[in-house]
Amino acid sequence: MKEKTEVQQGTLALMVLRTLNVLGPLHGYGIAKRIEQISGDLLSVNQGTLYPVLLKLEQEGSIASDWGSSENNRRARFYRLTRAGQKQLRAETENWEKTTTIIARFFEVKREDLA
Amino acid sequence: MRALNRFFSRTGNFVTRRRSDERLREELEQHVVLQAEENVRGGMSPEEARRQALLKLGSIEVVRERYSEEKSLPLLECLQQDTRFALRQLRKSPGFTAVAVLTLALGIGANTAVFSIVYSALLQPLPYRDASRLMVLNETTPRVGVVSVSYPNFLDWRAQSHTFSQMAALDAVSFNLSGVTEPESISGLAVSPNFLAMMGVQPVIGRDFEAAEENQGTAPVAILSDSLWQRRFAGDAGVLGRAIVLDGRDFTIVGVLPSNFVAPSKTDVLIPIGVWITNNSEEAHDRGDRGDMPVIGRLAPGMTVTQATSEMEGIESRLAKEYPAANDNYGVALQPIRDVFVGQTRPALLVLFGAVIFVLLIACANVANLFLVRGTGRTKEMAVRMALGASTSRIFAQMLTESLVLSVLGGLFGLGVAFAGVRGIGRLIPAGLLPGGAAGLNIPVLLFTAGIVLLAAFVFGITPALHWNRTDVQSELKEGSRSSSAGTAHSRVRGALAIVEAALALVLLVGAGLMMKSLYRLLQVDPGFRTDQVLTMTMSLRPDQYSKVPAVRNFWQQVLQRVRELPGIESAAVATNTPMSGNHGRNDITIEGMAQPRPGNYPHPDGHVVSPGYVQTLGISLLRGRSFTEADKEDAPLVAMINQRLANQFFPNQDPIGKRFMFGHPNTEQQPKWRTIVGVLGDTKLYGLANLSRLEVYVPFRQAPSGQMDLLVKSRVDPAALTSALRSAVYSVDKDQSIASIATMKQLVDNSLATRRMTLVLLGLFSAVALVLGAIGIYGVISYSVAQRTREIGVRMALGAPREGVFRMVIGQGVKLAGTGIAIGIFAALGLARLMSSLLYQVSTADFGTFTFVAVLLLLVAFAASYIPARRAISVEPIVALRYE
Repeated sequence: MKEKTEVQQGTLALMVLRTLNVLGPLHGYGIAKRIEQISGDLLSVNQGTLYPVLLKLEQEGSIASDWGSSENNRRARFYRLTRAGQKQLRAETENWEKTTTIIARFFEVKREDLA
Repeated sequence: MRALNRFFSRTGNFVTRRRSDERLREELEQHVVLQAEENVRGGMSPEEARRQALLKLGSIEVVRERYSEEKSLPLLECLQQDTRFALRQLRKSPGFTAVAVLTLALGIGANTAVFSIVYSALLQPLPYRDASRLMVLNETTPRVGVVSVSYPNFLDWRAQSHTFSQMAALDAVSFNLSGVTEPESISGLAVSPNFLAMMGVQPVIGRDFEAAEENQGTAPVAILSDSLWQRRFAGDAGVLGRAIVLDGRDFTIVGVLPSNFVAPSKTDVLIPIGVWITNNSEEAHDRGDRGDMPVIGRLAPGMTVTQATSEMEGIESRLAKEYPAANDNYGVALQPIRDVFVGQTRPALLVLFGAVIFVLLIACANVANLFLVRGTGRTKEMAVRMALGASTSRIFAQMLTESLVLSVLGGLFGLGVAFAGVRGIGRLIPAGLLPGGAAGLNIPVLLFTAGIVLLAAFVFGITPALHWNRTDVQSELKEGSRSSSAGTAHSRVRGALAIVEAALALVLLVGAGLMMKSLYRLLQVDPGFRTDQVLTMTMSLRPDQYSKVPAVRNFWQQVLQRVRELPGIESAAVATNTPMSGNHGRNDITIEGMAQPRPGNYPHPDGHVVSPGYVQTLGISLLRGRSFTEADKEDAPLVAMINQRLANQFFPNQDPIGKRFMFGHPNTEQQPKWRTIVGVLGDTKLYGLANLSRLEVYVPFRQAPSGQMDLLVKSRVDPAALTSALRSAVYSVDKDQSIASIATMKQLVDNSLATRRMTLVLLGLFSAVALVLGAIGIYGVISYSVAQRTREIGVRMALGAPREGVFRMVIGQGVKLAGTGIAIGIFAALGLARLMSSLLYQVSTADFGTFTFVAVLLLLVAFAASYIPARRAISVEPIVALRYE
């Protein structure tokens, strides 16, 4: 059995934003599925916990939602990125990249380099 | 920004109660369906597919909880729930609720009412710019204390002082206003032209005074008060430039003051000091003449009161060296301007405020007690909740919410109590105490009430709430019996509360008792004059019409003659500086043959100019010699009477009759005007019953008539019924003569006791409330304990305990609580009573009689409060009690 990592809410939010940015409007199940796929099943979300995060993002104005029709022709709530959400995503991506770069450097550094 | 958006959405959801999780349910359902379809495609059976989908979704309850937490404001949600629950609980026990709310309403209402008075007297900003920087300055002498300032000294102060950025002199003036309708006597101030600007007051229409209007010979102009403007000119803006006739002279109206303007004394009109100098040239240039002129100064930026005081003392002592004849021995006193308004009422107000907080504490103790009684019945409910997983903090919060709801209800009813209270107290407070006029329920007062409500909720809510923490859930549920472990702890807390109530009540009762004794002692004081059946009427004659002495004398002679003809009049007199009038005139005198003292050390008696009949009218006792007669005329030898105190001090062991004194200091240029003493009168309490007697001299009015005198009338009938007859008698002599005020001597004496009476009435009321609440508290504790011990008492009686023994046991319990409270209370009262020593008159703050009486009273009340439960205890039928088993 593969070790699965518990995701933090903040990270989950970033994943949601990124998913919507790449794929366009999606319903909750779709978002959950994408996140699962991309993480290669490394990441197990108690999928239900996605919904409070969606609500939080919506209340913050980063995403918006409307009722629409799903692939099985049922009513479903579709989420899409707002302009504010795009800005937020850009900012957070940049931030994330900066962080990873720094962390990566720390891992690269060997003892001789510092001598 | 995002956090803000989120907060707004949540608040919006909370307010609009959009809390249905319909949307979530639908989304989750759809999620499961989609996942299940996917699973079916993966080859599962439909049932298995759905089961797996649900598993993958996780706990729906957790999701739903987090979702709704995210959606709204959980803290407020809880509060709302708790509030609703509390209201339901309170509705379920209407008796408890009614008593608790009423008790709190009384406590909170009384606090609000007293605070509204305290606020408008002590805290409300005075309507001046930066009022805390304004100081009132006066000169002082070691013998008299504060006197006012002479104008030349003021000019030197202003020129030399650096600690004050501005200074203005204020001379109290009064005018006869005529020419429009009925003549009226108005009061005003002659002020330095910078006065209004310094105070930060601007005329609403017209202009302020100009610097040149400080000089002698300036044209007579006036600024009207709003009330005079409304009263006499109906608020007509065209009044500027018109003339107002004051003392028969035309004053051009140049401005009108704002309606919220107040001055330390009643002010209908302001005139520039230059006009006063023109009319009182001699006084204005006499360095030794200190009339009625305080000075107000504004502290320069960065200067402290201490710096200003030491600078002014330096200036004053230089002036004393420079002009010893006028200034030797004089000092200077500074006080914040608010003190001029509040004066001696401050300690009374603070004592009352403290007292009313005690009342609130007692009310809180009582409600806490009620809570505990009710809480005992709810022990099991709480235990069940805890067992079901309610956290202690959650239960604590819910208990406090219940207190808060109760307190808010109490506060709402309390506002009603306060509204009535403010009106009631309004009738008791001494006139002129509140600079802003009446006290009312304004915003700061309502904020205070809200604060009190919160505080009260906390004070009476914390004891029962904390108590729940200690409740042992397990034993509660296990035992399932009526006698619980919490019971004994409860009754200990409740006993302690009853003791606190008794102690607080004792302190209040001692305060009220001491006040009562003081007032009683004061009313026993012999004022030295008659207060019954005497009416006084104050008048001041217009200087232009009555510029000559014969005219003045003539006017008063005629008035006296007309008045004596009225039916019902026994005697009448005119006099200056009559007792309780607040007017005073003091002069240095020189007694023939005395060693010449330093300028500040001459005898400085209160002087009265009186007509024959004064002594009879006021019933002052004539100790030696004779009183004045019609023979003491203008051309007769100069005579005088003195009072006993002056006789004792300056003529010890001698007969003062036939001795001589003169007004003023010996002067080589003038022939001394010696007056021969013809009579000695008893001392009169000129300035209030509590004041010490002062030195007094009397001179016959025909030898020194004054334009400002009081008409005194002693009548056979109720003197108040004579006012209109007296008025027309005056108008028949001069139809333009105004009458400043009419009052019976009894009213004047009553007014002089107003502060003490207010303190007594309110303290009495508060301590009565405290007594009743305390009695209820003790009764509650005892009767509850009897109810709980029914079985024990039954067993005791079944085993042969005598009824008296049981009775005594129960009573003893109540008396023990009260006794402990009394002991604590006595210690507290001994300390606290010292704070009110300035309000007392010839009563020690540790007055043995008062303390004993109050302690016995409280014990009796405790006895009475325990009596009913004790009766109930001995009526317990052993069989019935035992059957409980």
